[in-house]
Amino acid sequence: MAKFITRRLAHAVLVIIAATFLIYLGLFTLGDPFASSGEKTVPPEIQEALRAKFGMDQPFFMQYLTYLQNMFTFDFGIDFEQRRDVADMLATAVPATARLALFAIIIEVIIGLTAGIIAAVAPYTFRDVFITIITTLGIGIPVFVIGIGLRAWLSGEWIFPAVPRSFTVETPWWQEIILPALTLAILDAAFIARLMRGSMLEVLRADFIRTARAKGISERKVIGKHAFRNSIIPVVTYTGVSLGVLLGGALITERIFEYQGLGYLLVRAISQHNNPVIVPIVVFAVVVFVLLSTLVDILYAYLDPRIRLH
Amino acid sequence: MTTPPQSGREPDTHVPAEALMTRFEAPDPDSTETGPKNGRRKNGSTGQFKEIWRRYKRNKLAVVGLALVIFLMVLAILQPWITPFDPMEQNPINSRNPPSARHWFGTDILGRDMFSGIVYGTRLAMIVGWSVMILSLVVGLALGAIAGFRGKATDSIIMRITDIVLAFPALIGAILVVQIFGNGIPQVIIALVILSWPTAARLMRGSTLSLRESEYVEAARSIGASDTRIVTRHILPNAIGPTLIYSFSHIGVAIVAMASLAFLGIGVPADIPEWGTMIAKAVPSLNVEGEAHMWMFPSLAIVITTLAFAFVADGLRDSIDPKLR
Repeated sequence: MAKFITRRLAHAVLVIIAATFLIYLGLFTLGDPFASSGEKTVPPEIQEALRAKFGMDQPFFMQYLTYLQNMFTFDFGIDFEQRRDVADMLATAVPATARLALFAIIIEVIIGLTAGIIAAVAPYTFRDVFITIITTLGIGIPVFVIGIGLRAWLSGEWIFPAVPRSFTVETPWWQEIILPALTLAILDAAFIARLMRGSMLEVLRADFIRTARAKGISERKVIGKHAFRNSIIPVVTYTGVSLGVLLGGALITERIFEYQGLGYLLVRAISQHNNPVIVPIVVFAVVVFVLLSTLVDILYAYLDPRIRLH
Repeated sequence: MTTPPQSGREPDTHVPAEALMTRFEAPDPDSTETGPKNGRRKNGSTGQFKEIWRRYKRNKLAVVGLALVIFLMVLAILQPWITPFDPMEQNPINSRNPPSARHWFGTDILGRDMFSGIVYGTRLAMIVGWSVMILSLVVGLALGAIAGFRGKATDSIIMRITDIVLAFPALIGAILVVQIFGNGIPQVIIALVILSWPTAARLMRGSTLSLRESEYVEAARSIGASDTRIVTRHILPNAIGPTLIYSFSHIGVAIVAMASLAFLGIGVPADIPEWGTMIAKAVPSLNVEGEAHMWMFPSLAIVITTLAFAFVADGLRDSIDPKLR
């Protein structure tokens, strides 16, 4: 097991290093942030001055090393538009996104597992078909259509705050988070329900379930304990990966509900070609995604020892 | 990274086959009598296609999906003759009109005819969806087969490249590529191909690996067949199934990805009538009475399209490789 963990971690580190290199190469070398673009014209001497100020007149590898060093010390520089400290901007956006991601995960796991178990316990009945139809729709309808629909129908009603927010009304964070979290949760909940249904159906056919029933254990215990524990592994895997994606910022959902998280920041930074903001967010998203995927692989190997042999 | 729980950006590729089942009927008894792998029969490929079609049409949802896909394709091809108005033509006096006999789906914020815009958007979606599918399939098949067949250093280099690409969450990866190449539909297609070939390559590599040591490949080698011939004539036809299914199910994903980028104002020029940009333009009117048509029609177009392709992909999965179910 130790060997497996070391190998996976080493692999993750290598992938992260390669990815950060590509991000840097792509954003700072191929796309010149100081070039004139559209209505914005920048005189050549000012371009030179800006390059010198941001250290971009240095050779490429020096730039890259400086960038790596700064990433490690959480020194992200200042953004090109308003000259604010990027670290400060991230300090408020990261917790907001993390809160949203956790909320969404909790909702999707509860709904997904319940629906999946209900469907698997009575396969091919009306309930099962109904849940299958709902999950098909949940997976088929794109996130931004769900988000737009929820915003159109629910924002401004009952406890849901209006979007765009009015700055005179103070909204508690939990009210602000409900609709975006629900939007994010729907797709994954549908997916989890399908995964759970499939793996539970398979487990319920296993011999040990028959043995448990033959011993006279109540159906409740057979499903809730024996079958549940053995069919949850794919859901754990999927949830981990999904958390990894969500923590990197939910671009579309945050945009729709004007939720001030990483995704919102990133989309705005992109429209302004604001590289000092784009780079740390993308690096963060990649690092979190890779680390969580690795963690999921390790967890999977722990839960199912057969994996380690490969 | 060859362990089964691949960091799953494309979750549908390594889900237990059971979970992907959307068929509502009881499992069909025929699935056991299909004989040799991939439903191959001795009477050649016509028989095989017939067999696939026979299994395919049993899935009613898949047939509905196929009909919808054909309908969308016809719409896309005939777009210039179908649209009553120029989809680009602005008419500020008639902006935000509700649906009427003249403008079936109403007009948008710039006074453009929504029906014409949505049909034009269908054309774009089909172009992007199919190009991404075909290009990523070609690249994925070629690199996957090379990696699986050559093994050793070639294999590890190609697989490490897929690892790095798959380290990017999908939308963020696409945004980065578009940032580098600039705005435009071809750039969006390139971005989506760059992000989707690795999964295709991995699937192809897996199938190639399992066939490489098979007896019939050894037999071909023993009669002096060249590597190219073995890969293209013996391995490819038998290994293509899972990759083909993935690529097909990816058409819907690519269409949604383009619409998502367009919605965020990235990659797709804002003045092109595309479903995502249409919805983005409708955002200010979301809570306005009588302007719901501006987001509902493009949303409906996306939902119908993605569901249609998903149904067809499910049907293909069941019919091409019954063992996957």
